[in-house]
Amino acid sequence: MSNKIAIILLVCIGLVLLLAISELPLYGAPDNSAQNYVSERYIEGAVSDTGALNMVSAIVIDYRAYDTLIETTVLFTAVIAVFMVLKKAPDRKGEPK
Amino acid sequence: MGEIGSRIIQNYPYVFALALFIIGIYTILTNSNLFKKVIGINIMEGSIYVFFIAAGNIRGGVAPILDMGEPGLVYVNPLPQALMLTGIVVSVSVTAFSLALIMKLYRFYGTVDAREIMRIRSEVRASAGGN
Repeated sequence: MSNKIAIILLVCIGLVLLLAISELPLYGAPDNSAQNYVSERYIEGAVSDTGALNMVSAIVIDYRAYDTLIETTVLFTAVIAVFMVLKKAPDRKGEPK
Repeated sequence: MGEIGSRIIQNYPYVFALALFIIGIYTILTNSNLFKKVIGINIMEGSIYVFFIAAGNIRGGVAPILDMGEPGLVYVNPLPQALMLTGIVVSVSVTAFSLALIMKLYRFYGTVDAREIMRIRSEVRASAGGN
């Protein structure tokens, strides 16, 4: 029963998103709105700005270095949270119900 | 209708992303096993990666690694790929934390089934209200 409700809901969501896909800019077109001056700047300036041939690593490590630095903080926080959750609680007698 | 259909067919990578997204939501909604819910969340994240990388793609473009020998190459957009690296880190963090929570729940309730956990909780609440 709830399975059927889920399927109906997902079909509705899927149809709406299909309409959204039909309105998106054409896939793979070079004049896409995603290919704007930002990516041009990265592609043209990567070597002279950072000296990295690989533009993705130039962005990750140089242009957005603070992003990457704080990302390690995210990872660290996740690890700390995992250890806090998995820390053995002091023994309590009886089943926890 | 025909125009919309042809545009959807031209944008077929987005349809793949949409299909993955729907599969992910379906997995989350219909499985009461908490591990399977985490798998569903990961499938949804995968669909977002597919969507972003496809949005940055150019037909006939090459991977954004500079080739000094060939000046006329068209490179695909490197920005979505860099952003998705960040997204992967966040996804790993979320997955690790939710798996830790599930382990904790298993220690506490002895099951990883969400419905079973709700049943045990309601029983505990009923017995507490009866006293």
